Amino acid sequence: MENSSTTPKPIRCKAAVSRAPGEPLRIEEVVVAPPRAYEIRIKIICTSVCHTDVTFWRMKGYPGVLPQIYGHEAVGEVESVGDHVEEVVVGDVVVPSFLAQCGECGDCESEGSNMCGKLPYRPVGMPRDGTTRFTDAEGAVVHGFLGGASSFSEYTVADIAHVVKVDPAIPPEKACLLSCGVSTGVGAAWKVAKVEAGSTVAIFGLGAVGLAVAEGARLQGAGRIIGVDLNPDKFEIGKRLGITDFVNPKELGEKPVSEVILEMTSGGADYCFECIGLASLMADAFRSSRNGSGKTIILGVEMHGSPIMLDSAEILRGKCVMGSLFGGIKPKTDIPILVNRYLNKELKLDEFITHEMGFHDINKAFDLLIEGKSLRCIIWMDR
Amino acid sequence: MEMEEKSPKPIRCKAAVCRAAGEPLQIEEVEVAPPKAHEARIKIVCTSLCHSDLTFWRLKDFPGVYPRIFGHEAVGVVESVGEGVEEVGVGDTVVPTFLAHCKDCVDCRSERSNLCSKLPFNLIPGMPRDRTTRFTDAKGEPVHNFLFVSSFSQYTVVDVGHLTKVDPGIPFDKACLLSCGVSTGVGAAWKVAEVEAGSSVAIFGLGAVGLAVAEGARLRGASKIIGVDLNPDKFELGKKFGLTDFVNPKEIGERSVSEVIMEMTNGGADYCFECIGLASLMNDAFQSCRPGWGKTIILGVEMHGAPLCISSSEILHGKCIMGSLFGGIKAKNDIPIFVKKYLNKELQLDNFITHEVGLQEINKAFDLLVEGKSLRCTIWMDR
Repeated sequence: MENSSTTPKPIRCKAAVSRAPGEPLRIEEVVVAPPRAYEIRIKIICTSVCHTDVTFWRMKGYPGVLPQIYGHEAVGEVESVGDHVEEVVVGDVVVPSFLAQCGECGDCESEGSNMCGKLPYRPVGMPRDGTTRFTDAEGAVVHGFLGGASSFSEYTVADIAHVVKVDPAIPPEKACLLSCGVSTGVGAAWKVAKVEAGSTVAIFGLGAVGLAVAEGARLQGAGRIIGVDLNPDKFEIGKRLGITDFVNPKELGEKPVSEVILEMTSGGADYCFECIGLASLMADAFRSSRNGSGKTIILGVEMHGSPIMLDSAEILRGKCVMGSLFGGIKPKTDIPILVNRYLNKELKLDEFITHEMGFHDINKAFDLLIEGKSLRCIIWMDR
Repeated sequence: MEMEEKSPKPIRCKAAVCRAAGEPLQIEEVEVAPPKAHEARIKIVCTSLCHSDLTFWRLKDFPGVYPRIFGHEAVGVVESVGEGVEEVGVGDTVVPTFLAHCKDCVDCRSERSNLCSKLPFNLIPGMPRDRTTRFTDAKGEPVHNFLFVSSFSQYTVVDVGHLTKVDPGIPFDKACLLSCGVSTGVGAAWKVAEVEAGSSVAIFGLGAVGLAVAEGARLRGASKIIGVDLNPDKFELGKKFGLTDFVNPKEIGERSVSEVIMEMTNGGADYCFECIGLASLMNDAFQSCRPGWGKTIILGVEMHGAPLCISSSEILHGKCIMGSLFGGIKAKNDIPIFVKKYLNKELQLDNFITHEVGLQEINKAFDLLVEGKSLRCTIWMDR
């Protein structure tokens, strides 16, 4: 029975709003509507910038989604719940997930798929009714992002299917990482590729996702983990997360990266991961995989929407290309597993955080990521 | 101890020789040298034409070389053996295969690969270990072999890595089918895709390989097997191999094949097979498979060498694309299994043979296949 004095009201708070593609975000006052049925409102504790936020932020010509509030990698506390929400209560620590898990549909019930069929992936609009919960100071609509995560806001509303309750023992900045990037990389090694112990892995792109693949491959017992990146600084940090060899394409002269990897591995790596979002790299990763059994795993969101071109004769040589969103992770099932592995000191997360700042400096976090100077910059909403 | 009069001598016999790309074969007398170490000379009982023979027969430039003896799908009896051959003996019934199975190298020992690395697959003419040919024509000029088999000759020399001994209880014309096309299709359903019972399968191209995929999928318990072909006659024929539905791209109006298949399967087929060799069809197959867990399997040899071009965003939706040579089959293990399944009446082979000719009429077999009028035409070498 609902007591009208406890019915959640709209909340006025600060959000970082994007009003033009690629332009700095503006900290503005917004109004966050109460959660509707199957929704919860979250007070964001901290959030981080994922390259996918940058890709969408830059997009020109994407149909009518500005002004928009980005951010999808975060952790928060439940402030209020809408009707029919039983999974979480006010005060619970939760992590939003851009992929839903309804738990009921064929995909959610299948072991192999993390693509919920009931609430499929969509970049804008609340999943059940397509509307937004944000309005600006003038009362104009401000769009949400990725299932309503919109974590670049002090408060946000998310669908319960897009929310994962986590053990409050995990420090919030570590939980935040598991909301997207690190789970994607670790999941890809664990669930998508199912990296076998002793095998050889090559990772193209050593951002947070690529390094998380390395960490995931290390946990799976990979024998050799080759990191490919244009930035030589990535090797030092990569070593801490399991990288055994480093290839810098700028230092190979005329030789293509794939030739070098084929040589290093006597015929190709067992698993090649693309973690940047460039079709040409996806093709390089494919060429670097082993004949007969080599698997190429695509994680990067192609930044220009370009198609992947593969040699049709090469694919006949027993090669496989697969991709996934969120590293094959079923959020409600797998994120708690990763939380436990962190708390048990198996899974390393600390190394992924290279910077911390307050909400008002959010544009600095964008700059650091774009310039390749950060892995994850934690943005604390209350600073 | 070797007695001099027992050393095998060169044999003069008839062969169908191709002297120029795309030209009818000429029945000529050739000389077949004795087998060297690790080789056996085979009396070919019968052979059949596979579309891959056609693809290479049409090639003007490398790897097309002339004069050449084509054919790689066949069955024969061992006439003599070279040094070091213990696996087969004179009189054994053997099936030659274009893919080697040495059973010794890392790839042969691995469950995941069927690409022997000791005798690797390639398109360079010549015997696998010394790159020379065993054929000379009536003028004493060398005639190139093809895919390590060259079965369009009454006698041929084959490396023992490319020979599988089979139970002589299987009729020759059925054993011949297992040498390439049918094993490729059945193998693809069984070993590459690992088709699960109750699943949906879409097969693009209903030649012998495509129909063998259907047969393989039927044996695995697939509940829906959709055949896609421009030739409406293939549906009736296909029903004998397990097809439950048929799509003719010419009869669906404005809609695309993938749209139709997505509808028929409520979201996409669990497995899609491309069995023609056209990059555009490979893409259609990829688009027709189910996000989340859909697998696309490429079997066709792209007839123009065109690249496979797939959507980088679609692959992120949990799709997988893979290819194989010879349907993932490890010849010496798997062909005997197929022979058993045929003799047990589990695996149906009879319906693949639609025509029979003698060696003299071999060009008729080419015409029938080019015109799409045959599945497999058995060519009997002694007629």
